[in-house]
Amino acid sequence: MNPSSSTDDVVLVIDDEPQIRRVVRNAMEADIARVIEASTGRAGIDVAAAERPSLIILDLGLPDMEGAEVCRAVRSWSAVPIIVLSARGSVQEKAALLDAGADDYIAKPFSTIELQARVRAQLRRAKLAPAAGQTHVIEADGALIDLATPGVKRDGVAIHLTKTEWQLLRTLMQNAGRTMTHRQLFSAVWGNAYGDAQQYLRVHIRSIRRKIERDPVRPRLIVTEPGVGYRFQMEP
Amino acid sequence: MNVSGPSRAVRAIAWLGVFVGVTVIMVGVRGRLDRVHVALAYLLVVQLTSAQAGRAVGMSLAVLSFLTFNIFFVPPYGTLAVANPVDWLVLVAFLVTSVISAQLLYRARALGAERERLSATSERAQSLEQSNRMKDETLAMVSHDLRTPLTTIKGLAHEIAAGGDERAEVIEEEADRLNAFVGKLLDLSRVTMGTGALDIQPNEAEDLLGAAAQQTQGFARGLAFHVEPSDSMLFGKFDFVQSLRVLVNLIDNAAKYSPPDAPIDVGARRVGNELRFWVADRGPGIADVDRERIFEPFYRKRVGDVDAAGAGLGLSIAKGIAEAQGGRLTFVPRDGGGSVFTLSVPAIDLPGDVASSVVGPAE
Repeated sequence: MNPSSSTDDVVLVIDDEPQIRRVVRNAMEADIARVIEASTGRAGIDVAAAERPSLIILDLGLPDMEGAEVCRAVRSWSAVPIIVLSARGSVQEKAALLDAGADDYIAKPFSTIELQARVRAQLRRAKLAPAAGQTHVIEADGALIDLATPGVKRDGVAIHLTKTEWQLLRTLMQNAGRTMTHRQLFSAVWGNAYGDAQQYLRVHIRSIRRKIERDPVRPRLIVTEPGVGYRFQMEP
Repeated sequence: MNVSGPSRAVRAIAWLGVFVGVTVIMVGVRGRLDRVHVALAYLLVVQLTSAQAGRAVGMSLAVLSFLTFNIFFVPPYGTLAVANPVDWLVLVAFLVTSVISAQLLYRARALGAERERLSATSERAQSLEQSNRMKDETLAMVSHDLRTPLTTIKGLAHEIAAGGDERAEVIEEEADRLNAFVGKLLDLSRVTMGTGALDIQPNEAEDLLGAAAQQTQGFARGLAFHVEPSDSMLFGKFDFVQSLRVLVNLIDNAAKYSPPDAPIDVGARRVGNELRFWVADRGPGIADVDRERIFEPFYRKRVGDVDAAGAGLGLSIAKGIAEAQGGRLTFVPRDGGGSVFTLSVPAIDLPGDVASSVVGPAE
């Protein structure tokens, strides 16, 4: 434990491999958070309930439980950010875990710097989350988006968005910094019963980008998470 | 369970022999036989024949036994004439019974054969599914078993490097290289085994180019993107993630083989039924002799050029991915020097109601 840690954040690491726990602990205790550990999914859920950590790092391939199960169990009573570590790195797995309530996903082997950055981003997002409901205005990369009015300006010029585009943009902005899966976006904007989900979503994303992005081929506000979904970037 | 040609003919002749033998014996003891005995004996022969030699032979024998029954066992003997009209009833009842029983037997056997065939098919499907699942599990296990220790190595090397030991940085880099190689081998095995489990969806060209721009910003400078025509919405049916990897691979190659300040052009256009993503560089190009071989596994552009060519798996995997999703990967020399690699995927048209629900670009 690093007594000089400048935060009172606590990160719970759920991993059956002691070596990985050690690497994660060392990465976290370099000025990010204090670390508590669990070596099984069951124990992890119990510790999460008892200790109420600020963030959970969950390794998949636990001996006793599926990762998605752990996510759902924790998500049923807590909004704590969950970052999943996986050696598999398949987008299907990633999308399934995000759908199950995970906030981020890192493929093994990860770099310490990347892990630290992702953890910091999630901790920051979690602290901002209660305020996000009241924040209606985002200014980023030359675009001014006001969800209350509602209205969008790019470099001072008002831009018209359709109703669907607004709903999509609002959903992405309300979850800024978090990757929203195709499924989550689709059910938020269209409900579940609709035609060709994939294509509608692609069409509207492209349309919004053409309106609000400075360069739609190099989007800086709505970023593609390949095979998984889209993310509204907080700091482009 | 079909009876094969020669053995079927042999069996038909054998059963005909049995039929003749039974007829001769019965004619010999005709005085002591009731017509019911004759009918039962023939019925038995017809059924056994159907079972052994097939329906057609069984039916023929039913008709034949109907005739011999009439000629030899229904008075007046030796003719087809029937003295007692009640005997017609016996004969017709015999014919109908023997035909129906031959038919029923055939159907029962066909059903049995079908059930066997079905269970064989489902067993095969099951074993295929099982072997696919095993392959997936093996790939997952190999990934896990190799990547988990790599994570530890990388993490600890990073800690040591933070303490000022430069050798630890090399360890971390080498761990990355090893991981990249593990990834390539897993890809190759997926592509060659055809278990890539592609996720083919309607996808939009600009979305793919944007993702490629994002993934290559670290190593490829001076990229220029072109959607042609510039305000068009181009859709194709392809696996987004795998196509992205192909495109990033092509851009990576272009960057490696081009002079540092040479521009790389990347674009998308619709040509007929194809959506084409192209990457054009001003590098040295590819010699005629090498044009076929560049897509082979483990081929390297320049012998000994380890750093630039990596494991040499890139283009063969890329080609495999392109073809697995119904597309292709092609090369042509670029006018004025350099190379153009093109990933073509099946194009799709935008449904009318989708197109009309979108307001055009603001600019």
